[in-house]
Amino acid sequence: MKRRDFLKSTSALMGGTILYATGIPAMAQAEPVSGGTLIWGHSETTQNLDMHQTGTASTGRVLQNVHDSIVTVDKDLNVIPNLAESFEISADGLVYTFKLRPGVVFHNGQKMTSADVKFSFERCKDPATGAVNFEVFNSVASIDTPDDLTVVITLGQVNAPFLSRLAENGAGVIMPTGTGDVQGTTPIGCGPFKFVRREFGNEVELARFDDYWGGPAYLDKIIAREITEPTVRLTGLRTGELHMINDIPADRIAEIEGDDKFQVVSWFPLNWDFVNFNHDFEPFKNPKVREAFDYMIDKEALLEGALWGQGAVTASPSYPTSASYNHDLKQRPQDFEKAKALLAEAGYGEGELSVVFKATTNYPYHIEAAQIMLEWFRMAGVDATIEQLTWSDWLSQCWVDKDFQITMMNFFTLWEPDFLYYSLWNTEGAFNYRKISNAKVDELTAKARVTVDPQARADIYKQVQTVVHDETLDVILWFRNGTIGAQTGVMGLDTIVHPNGSNLNFHKVWLQS
Amino acid sequence: MKLPASFRTSKGMLGIGLVLAILLIAVIAPVLIPADWATKMDMRARLSPPTWAHPLGTDQLGRDLMYRVLLGARTSIAIASAAVLMSIVIGLPLGLISGYAGRTTDNVLMRLVDTLLAFPALLLALTISAVLGPNLQNTIIAIGIAFTPFLARIIRGEALRVAQMPYVEAARTAGNSDARLIVRHILPNIMPAVIVQSTISLAFAILAEAGLSFLGLGTQPPDASWGLMIQASRDYLDRAPWTALVPGAAVALTVLGLNMFGDALRDALDPRSKGAS
Amino acid sequence: MSYILNRILSMLLTLFLISAITFAVTNILPGDVAMMIMGTQSNPEALAGLRESLGLNDPLLVQYGRWIGGMLTGDWGTSLVFKEPIAPLLLQKMTASGLIVLFSMSIALICAVPLGVWAAVHPNRWQDTASSSAALLGVSLPDFFWGIMMILLFARGLHWLPSSGFVDPGEDLLLAFRHALLPSLALGLGLMAHLTRMTRATMTGILNQEFIRVARAKGLGERTVVWRYGLANAVGPVMTVAGLQVGYLFGSIIVIESLFNYTGMGWLTYQALLNRDIPLIQASVFVIAAVVMLANLIVDLLYVLVDPRIRLS
Repeated sequence: MKRRDFLKSTSALMGGTILYATGIPAMAQAEPVSGGTLIWGHSETTQNLDMHQTGTASTGRVLQNVHDSIVTVDKDLNVIPNLAESFEISADGLVYTFKLRPGVVFHNGQKMTSADVKFSFERCKDPATGAVNFEVFNSVASIDTPDDLTVVITLGQVNAPFLSRLAENGAGVIMPTGTGDVQGTTPIGCGPFKFVRREFGNEVELARFDDYWGGPAYLDKIIAREITEPTVRLTGLRTGELHMINDIPADRIAEIEGDDKFQVVSWFPLNWDFVNFNHDFEPFKNPKVREAFDYMIDKEALLEGALWGQGAVTASPSYPTSASYNHDLKQRPQDFEKAKALLAEAGYGEGELSVVFKATTNYPYHIEAAQIMLEWFRMAGVDATIEQLTWSDWLSQCWVDKDFQITMMNFFTLWEPDFLYYSLWNTEGAFNYRKISNAKVDELTAKARVTVDPQARADIYKQVQTVVHDETLDVILWFRNGTIGAQTGVMGLDTIVHPNGSNLNFHKVWLQS
Repeated sequence: MKLPASFRTSKGMLGIGLVLAILLIAVIAPVLIPADWATKMDMRARLSPPTWAHPLGTDQLGRDLMYRVLLGARTSIAIASAAVLMSIVIGLPLGLISGYAGRTTDNVLMRLVDTLLAFPALLLALTISAVLGPNLQNTIIAIGIAFTPFLARIIRGEALRVAQMPYVEAARTAGNSDARLIVRHILPNIMPAVIVQSTISLAFAILAEAGLSFLGLGTQPPDASWGLMIQASRDYLDRAPWTALVPGAAVALTVLGLNMFGDALRDALDPRSKGAS
Repeated sequence: MSYILNRILSMLLTLFLISAITFAVTNILPGDVAMMIMGTQSNPEALAGLRESLGLNDPLLVQYGRWIGGMLTGDWGTSLVFKEPIAPLLLQKMTASGLIVLFSMSIALICAVPLGVWAAVHPNRWQDTASSSAALLGVSLPDFFWGIMMILLFARGLHWLPSSGFVDPGEDLLLAFRHALLPSLALGLGLMAHLTRMTRATMTGILNQEFIRVARAKGLGERTVVWRYGLANAVGPVMTVAGLQVGYLFGSIIVIESLFNYTGMGWLTYQALLNRDIPLIQASVFVIAAVVMLANLIVDLLYVLVDPRIRLS
């Protein structure tokens, strides 16, 4: 409980991604040394290695070390230069001019020029590529390369989130011209580490790239062993077979923290969770019923039950560090009387409503959460059962066919408000699997796209959150903590977490000899 | 009624005792214990070791393991027995006919059985469950079908062996009909093997249900079944071993009882093995 | 000879049946290839287009013909999830799994046969009880339970063996064996329990038969009677059961390989099923079934060598 209070207060005060570590000895200040192979027990399996095509957080987490994007974000999620030394946006918001950093070399020895930027963006835009983020470039009218280090992108219409969408590798990655065919198996970029090999589902090997523009990394090699079973991953750390693991099982964090042999790095947030109603399911067409369900859920208790308190409850899915976070919203408290009254108003007496909760085994804590909520639903006089689904079944039934009554999901790396609010709550949004159609939200999210002024945009998104909350379009639950457990000899872990909360960057990590 | 000699050994008695006790629990527990006691959570007592309040400890959601294991008995036993019964009902005639008839019939039936047998039972059950959707009845069908070819193959092998025995040859020469030969001479002689196989299959069925539950295709939480309980315990084994040991012991005792019971039954049924004890 | 020829012909027929069943079952699996390719980017129009271009709208028989034609010509397609050609992927994973299947079968047989015989020779005495109890304990808990116990004991407690992972035998034979040992033990325990029981049951039956009594009456030593006459007759049935267990093993590796992060066939098939990677499910299920069938064929042929009576029929 203490941890969460700490997290809440600091996040509110500092408004930044909080990263803290315990057990790091004073040695942490020591001079970094080069060399050594770091063995990382990765919690998930990497999939397609093509940065454009891959949609999984697991693959992006590893490729963060192989690739660099044209711009990036600082810890407060402000867009800052990266491969582009500087950028300029015309007053009408239609022309973006990027000045590229000179002397950037790809892993294949090619020098980065504006042609590579044009190649990468056009590849992402091309529907034949199958890029996850292709729609970022929908409004792009032309990409010109007046000289080797200048790229001018002209939009057909204002697209306010364009630049910040380029700060994620998914859309903003720069690949060397002509490497499209090999990216899926042997990714080539200009990041601090070269891709060496992958044994599918077993391990990925990366080696230091000595010509990295940001200066060579310390580690000779990184071996990312993919160990999805939490107990086995933890055992690997305990036996010393692994230098570090990400995603420590939530109930074990205290135990590892208390052990002198290990250090724990925690940060906030890793991702966020919410409960979804199908707005096409007759009872949930009535906002009173949705509100009633919100009143049945004790968010703090649910966080404690499903994640052993490793996170912080929130009424807004905007990153706590972002300008669009609406601090005025408060989650509804648990109140069974109110819930029953609302249900009665909607015409459902005790025991007259029954729902099926579909939860995916891909996130085991969703199964725990569903079981806890089920008890509360029953206490409020709603008859409920759980159907567990594998990840692909969840995708097929809930995401594509929209065949569910109530479910829950979580999202990683959605810090960019347009990506977040338009995709999830606009009637036309790509992630609107709940069949939500709310005129106010539609109008606001469309307006935000053509609103260039950052403060005005943030205010619009705050209004969106108010609507989502007032009409209980979904029940926003919490932000979940990210954790890394490591041997004490692993140094520089304070630099490892990318501001998006999911990616890990080993550029400044080193091993004590 | 007097028990056959083989049941009056300590092993036979223990077997009968265990099987009866577990059947009794499976039938009576749901009557005596309110169903929601198995799903009631106590967040202040998660992964609690055995105490006065929770004699067998609690699981990761603070649910009482004693109530869960008692109420889970019915689910586990019902699924396993129904599945094994189903595989016997299909597998017995298949195996008997195949083993006895030989030649073309045997060839055709065994091709079919071989084909099904080539698919690992768990894989078969998984696929069937995935197709039919996860619920109690489909779990039974999935496990039942998956176990059928195995049983048929064993029975066929036994039937083949028995059919070659001199006394069957003699009965055949004496002019007995095929049906009579099968029912009177072959069936009784393969029953021991069927019983041994059934008791083992029951255990496997309980474990198979665990496997399916693990993949989300068996019993659905928060309902209790032993398989689901063991599956849920796997992340807490080193920290709260009782979460696995309680349902594990329930499974182990059931299997132990079934096997001893099966052995005793086998000795009682098989006139030739009397000398064994 | 004609028996063997007959068996091989029927094997080809079985292979055909396996392919048909595999194809049929994978085609009624919920979720489809187009959806898996598009994932979270799916929308109805794009899905319909992709289905058309993948030939998913063709009649099933046409699709089956295309698939089996590809399998025969070595074009096994590309995995949707792994984005790799399936044939080399399967070959590599089959080698990995072959190692632990072989290991666990050896471990199980080496322990089970003496234990089973020992129990049969001393019916209802402590030897019987001890071996039955050991066997029962092994069979009464799921493989993964033993797997985790072994990780806790041998890897975390004693630091003798690695807790997880797979190493290619071609790279480092000793290390490959060390990685294969724990998963093999976890698999072998359940199998051993089963084989012990079957050995005991078979041996008990044989030891009560006429010819054994005759042998005893002739004054042959008990050791000779049990091992030369008894066991020789039990080898056939025990082998049949062991052969059937190859199928059981290939089912169990689904869970065990995932637990130990041992990236073989079981792990691959599980991933394929979880992700509804239909081309990979089809190929791997077919390969597993074919391997299991081959194992049964070998057992059958050995049975003929051991038991000459079968040859006559």
